[in-house]
Amino acid sequence: MSDTPVLRIRDVRKRFGDHVALDGVSLDVHEGEVVTVIGPSGSGKSTLARCVHQLESIDGGAMHLDGELLGYEFHRGHLRPLPDRRVAAQRGRMGMVFQQFNLFPHWSVLRNVIEAQVLVHGRRPEDAREEALRLLQRVGLADKADAHPRTLSGGQQQRVAIARALATNPRIMLFDEPTSALDPELVDEVLSVVLDLARGGMTMIIVTHEMSFAREVADRCVFMEKGQIVETGTPEEIFDNPASPRLRAFLSRFSGRAAQISDERLLKEETTS
Amino acid sequence: MSVAPQTVAPPGVDVASARPRIRPLRWVAGVVLLVLLAQFAWFLVTNPRFEWPVVGRYLFDPNVLRGLGMSLLLTVIVMLLGSVFGVLLAAGRLSGFRPVAWACGFYVTVFRSIPPLLQLIFWFNLGYLLPRIPLGVPFGPTFVSWPTNSVISSLTAAVIGLTLHEAAYMAEIVRAGILAVDGGQRDAARAMGFTARQSFVKVVLPQAMRVIVPPAGSEFISLLKGTSLVSVIAMADLLYSVQVIYNRTYEVVPLLIVACAWYLVVVTALSLGQRRLERHFGKGQR
Repeated sequence: MSDTPVLRIRDVRKRFGDHVALDGVSLDVHEGEVVTVIGPSGSGKSTLARCVHQLESIDGGAMHLDGELLGYEFHRGHLRPLPDRRVAAQRGRMGMVFQQFNLFPHWSVLRNVIEAQVLVHGRRPEDAREEALRLLQRVGLADKADAHPRTLSGGQQQRVAIARALATNPRIMLFDEPTSALDPELVDEVLSVVLDLARGGMTMIIVTHEMSFAREVADRCVFMEKGQIVETGTPEEIFDNPASPRLRAFLSRFSGRAAQISDERLLKEETTS
Repeated sequence: MSVAPQTVAPPGVDVASARPRIRPLRWVAGVVLLVLLAQFAWFLVTNPRFEWPVVGRYLFDPNVLRGLGMSLLLTVIVMLLGSVFGVLLAAGRLSGFRPVAWACGFYVTVFRSIPPLLQLIFWFNLGYLLPRIPLGVPFGPTFVSWPTNSVISSLTAAVIGLTLHEAAYMAEIVRAGILAVDGGQRDAARAMGFTARQSFVKVVLPQAMRVIVPPAGSEFISLLKGTSLVSVIAMADLLYSVQVIYNRTYEVVPLLIVACAWYLVVVTALSLGQRRLERHFGKGQR
């Protein structure tokens, strides 16, 4: 593990009108580390992912990717925002997977995975195509390369979205509730792809409502509430030994539902086998 | 007395053997349509004042075809310029820089309010307001200038007037198309490292086209017919050409039918083109 974290978030603040979405969030993510972010809806965890990717501007604090300040530069001793082209280049070094997949419906699956490589990273189309096919194979969808996104199931679309985000060799992958829009029986196929990435050493931040997954995949787990990081620690510390009463309350509300879901899955596996 | 319908069926019934219901209102509508059609055809054929031989004589008259050519040329020029300015105006209205958004909104409000006929006459008479058109530094020295009346021919007046009008309408159509594209698409494009322009051109606009094409098609059709307005500034379009002929021969109705026939032909062709475009941009949506 090197000294400079891949991503350094320092005291980031963000508000939407009167609503404070992020209230001084600090977090370091190191090379190869998987950080899962849990918390009630409206706690700011999705906003955090969107801010890191510069889809939302931040009101204060600072973020660094490999030690490089995100979105701003020093010019004659003053900070000023980067021009769009440089911000775009910074975004190109990160991968993002959205809750709603957001595949481009006017392109084939293959072109969805090719295009950024050519447009943003200037790869030769033949090389980009080869890489895209390799990635589609990795997420188990090589046979769907020529299909249109709308003809795929939600789980398949999300796997294509993961391949698309991976295509540009990102330094870090951000997942914004990647399974929240999926039918329950399609969740596992997406989670197993993410788990596979984690084992391959990809640096990741995963915002999720899947508690058992958040625990299984994480090196470190972060609990957010009301725009603040309330508690951070190993999965064991967070799930078995929550220190703050707010985390305890959150987990108790969740454990009933989570247990129910995994029971259903067990039941399904028993009946199908 | 009607027979009460029986809904208790014998065992082994199969609805595939059902006969269609008789729908009396449909029969009535069909008969009414047939009668109207017959009456109209009878009127067309038996009324000698249509002077069909005259229509036939002038349908391919060189002057009429030249007028048709001028109408088509004007439509194509205004269509292209209007679309380009329309896209720019729409992008401007959605710009994050308020003054640009307001300026574009102001333009659209003003030029949608002015009747195109009024604009044509205004631009044709620009020489009164501005005798010479200067090129130079604003509020500073002028390098060259041209006399307005030699620059503003009836063609340039027509192109300017119709383009300004068309651009305002196209701006609204394009804006509606852009707003119809899901915000997640732009997020995804930017997230992958596309610049603002790449995400607009590669991702947003192609998807907006699905919403833009149908109303833009109607807009082009009404533009083609709108070019007939230029006859007021003595420009030799299709309508003006037949007017010139009937002012000489007094065969007003047959010559209007000649113009009518050509407008019908061109609009039909445009409609077919529109349908093909719709199919092209609709792919991947279903």
